[in-house]
Amino acid sequence: MEVGLFIPCYVEQLSPEVGLATARLLEVAGCTVHYDPQQTCCGQPFLNMGATASGAKLARRHLQLFERYETVVCPSGSCTATVRHRYPELGVGEEPAGRALRARTFELSEFLVNQLSRSHFGSEFPHRVALLQSCHGLRDLGLGSGSEQVHGRRSSPAEELLLAVRGLTFVPTARDECCGFGGTFAVKFPEVSARMGRARLREWAEAGAEYVTGTDVSCLLHLDGLRRKEGFGPEPIHLAELLATGDVA
Amino acid sequence: MTARDDILARVAAAATHRASHPGGHTPATLETGFDRFASRLRGVGGEAHGPVPAWSAGEAASRVVALRADGGSIFAAESAADLLGPGPWVVPPAELAPIAFEDVAVALMLGTVAVAENAAVALLGREAPQRAMPFLCRHLILLVPANSIVPDQHAAQAALPADAFAHHHLTWISGPSKTADIEQTLVYGAHGPLTLDVIAYGEVA
Amino acid sequence: MTQALELAARRTLPDEGAVTRHDGAVFDLRRRRDLAAAEVPDWEALRERAAALKTHTLDHLDTYLERFEARATEAGAVVHWAEDAADLRRIATELLRAHKVERVAKSKSMLTEECGLNAHLESQGIHVVDTDLGERIVQLQGEPPSHIIVPAIHRSRAEIGALFHERMGTPRGETDPEKLTRAARRDLRSRFLSAQAGITGVNFAVAETGSIVVCTNEGNADLGMSIPRLHVACMGLEKLVPRMEDLPVFLRLLARSATGQPITAYTSVVTGPREGAELHIIVVDNGRSALLADPGHRSALGCIRCGACLNTCPVYRRAGGHAYEGPIPGPIGAVLAPALHPAGAALPHASSLCGSCTAVCPVRIDLHDQLLAWRRELPRPRGEALLGWLAALVLRSPSLYRLAGRLGRLSWPILGVRFPGNPAASWLRGRKLPRHPGASFASRWARRGQGTGP
Repeated sequence: MEVGLFIPCYVEQLSPEVGLATARLLEVAGCTVHYDPQQTCCGQPFLNMGATASGAKLARRHLQLFERYETVVCPSGSCTATVRHRYPELGVGEEPAGRALRARTFELSEFLVNQLSRSHFGSEFPHRVALLQSCHGLRDLGLGSGSEQVHGRRSSPAEELLLAVRGLTFVPTARDECCGFGGTFAVKFPEVSARMGRARLREWAEAGAEYVTGTDVSCLLHLDGLRRKEGFGPEPIHLAELLATGDVA
Repeated sequence: MTARDDILARVAAAATHRASHPGGHTPATLETGFDRFASRLRGVGGEAHGPVPAWSAGEAASRVVALRADGGSIFAAESAADLLGPGPWVVPPAELAPIAFEDVAVALMLGTVAVAENAAVALLGREAPQRAMPFLCRHLILLVPANSIVPDQHAAQAALPADAFAHHHLTWISGPSKTADIEQTLVYGAHGPLTLDVIAYGEVA
Repeated sequence: MTQALELAARRTLPDEGAVTRHDGAVFDLRRRRDLAAAEVPDWEALRERAAALKTHTLDHLDTYLERFEARATEAGAVVHWAEDAADLRRIATELLRAHKVERVAKSKSMLTEECGLNAHLESQGIHVVDTDLGERIVQLQGEPPSHIIVPAIHRSRAEIGALFHERMGTPRGETDPEKLTRAARRDLRSRFLSAQAGITGVNFAVAETGSIVVCTNEGNADLGMSIPRLHVACMGLEKLVPRMEDLPVFLRLLARSATGQPITAYTSVVTGPREGAELHIIVVDNGRSALLADPGHRSALGCIRCGACLNTCPVYRRAGGHAYEGPIPGPIGAVLAPALHPAGAALPHASSLCGSCTAVCPVRIDLHDQLLAWRRELPRPRGEALLGWLAALVLRSPSLYRLAGRLGRLSWPILGVRFPGNPAASWLRGRKLPRHPGASFASRWARRGQGTGP
């Protein structure tokens, strides 16, 4: 399968390893991976801030760049959710071609598990690992169910992938709430944002997690910044990097 | 124009008259019967007794009164006294001012419908001519026909008598008065009854 | 510019201990709600039905308001109409004056908080006692409620014990919730018995019968309605349900969503005044008809004030209700603020948009989408708009984008330290800068060689 790699701006600039691990996983899964260096940002921060005009320009640009791919895969739930569900709020992507492209844009874990029906990659990570289900992946994309969803719960592809990793001990927690990143929220309300993140770190630490993994680099960077400042909590690692171990390394 | 006309004109201009009424809700089948009601009532801090035959309701009520009485008057609403017959209770005079209920230890009243899903009992205005009594007494005892227990609130609403809203008020009572306003610690008897007992009497449906 | 809620949150919950205690107490309500919702197999169908009923009612609100007024009047109530907060305060004051009322027993009503009724009545020489325990605590403390269901949730038992010692004469150091509650019961009992009027809110109003529905756990509203000879009920004009048959849908959702109880301890359906007494119902607009006229935002009028969105909201739990600086905190407060309280126009930004509020709302208000919609519509601060425009310009050009990335990585050592004007200053509050990424993904990809197979 031909796959266009959708690299969010913060992966491009701050976490290149996550992009490389994503490509590696897709190749192991039998995909041919294409990367267009013309790509920049899907427009999510502008949508989040309410800056519709700027957001719409970036959204249209994004759709044009990715139109040629059979499938688009992104190592971020929130960027995928923006493209798949939020573009109409910017007045973009409602024409047939736009709709079709939005429907074939996938977050990495859902692509592997739900589209390719594959959760075993021979990865090996002999550690105690907690999972951060980032909010947009969870509630917009349906990659699992928030704990408040007591009826009709969905399974989480990320969890399924983790359970197949050799040596990994999955560390469940009672809470599953937002880590406090929230895009511009993290800088507009830094103390409230940090309080939210520290609470998550504390719960994982108390449960004995050595690592916390997730599908969104942005949330993990926020948690990593908190953790290094506070000196406690599990080390964040993106799901793609965690899976690119063992036989995938 | 008056405020009324102004407001209604604005609301009329804004109301789109589009969505039709979705109709009644058909609830999922829920567990019902006395046992379910009783366990629910325990869950909200009350206690259920029975079901007892109607002829022995007075005896059952006397036993519960003995458990609760802690000094002060024991009053039965007239309809409850009619069911119960003679006992340690008296029917308060109709003209009594609300303040006279301040020192009521136990009040006995008739409930009309009981709901298994939430332990609520319907206290109709016609059974409570002394509106303040069930809220000022320290211990409230409600008597409900055992065959009036329905599974859910929808069925309870449908089971109310036609004149249910003709007597100023109808109160669904589910357990004793309660609060958790201090650090989420549950305390019974915030203002009204410290305890609530429900006695089911008569034939089970 | 630092946001008001951020600054207020640092004040209202000043340290991590206070944050953790508040978070735990509030989340406990969320947990109870989950358990209660799980017990109802048709929960999701109920939510859907409630949403449809609200949509229908708002779409035909003129019809239902007129029907309600006619039926309530037939039943012997007097219906008044208030344009705004000042109107409500005036009507209530006139009613109380006409009955020579000096002492009022009031039960919880978010509407009267919104309209500043208490302070106004006090200024007119009418003494108001809040009778809900939580409301009483904040009244004695001289502060507004911080939660719409549990008004004093931000106060510890030690603080309440000290307050009661000072104001009610409880023993010094007494902090046992049961003993403190008993003291309040005794104190308030005498106030109920001497009250000349009861003021209550309205949870629902039934158009078909002209009834109002008042829900409490303490029974305080019932005392206020059954002892004095005057009952003044204050309701927002959106509180209607069409028929009595529709009421169970909401009663089954309300308490379960609020506290996890299957129903409130007391749910009183009041139709007309009791014998020898008067019932006055004040129907209040105060911005609601304007919100109804806004198709993009009217869904917020469906709110039944259960508080579930507050309880699930990680921002509310870490900021505290007072940080919202308005009558209604939390997600629904932030959604209503721009429409009802111009001062709260920045609140839609005080959310990480996690969406949990939307998932718990019993009437399925699209809360986090509403927050986002307000962000699009409200004017943006000049500086932010300029920065955004600049960023979008850079992001539309791959070469500028790469250049900006390179400059950023070059200035990494500087960005990590605190200095005036550091663009990363906000990030550095509580956090360190991410580790230096080394190079961009594009350059790593180029080095890796393109299109390599497995």
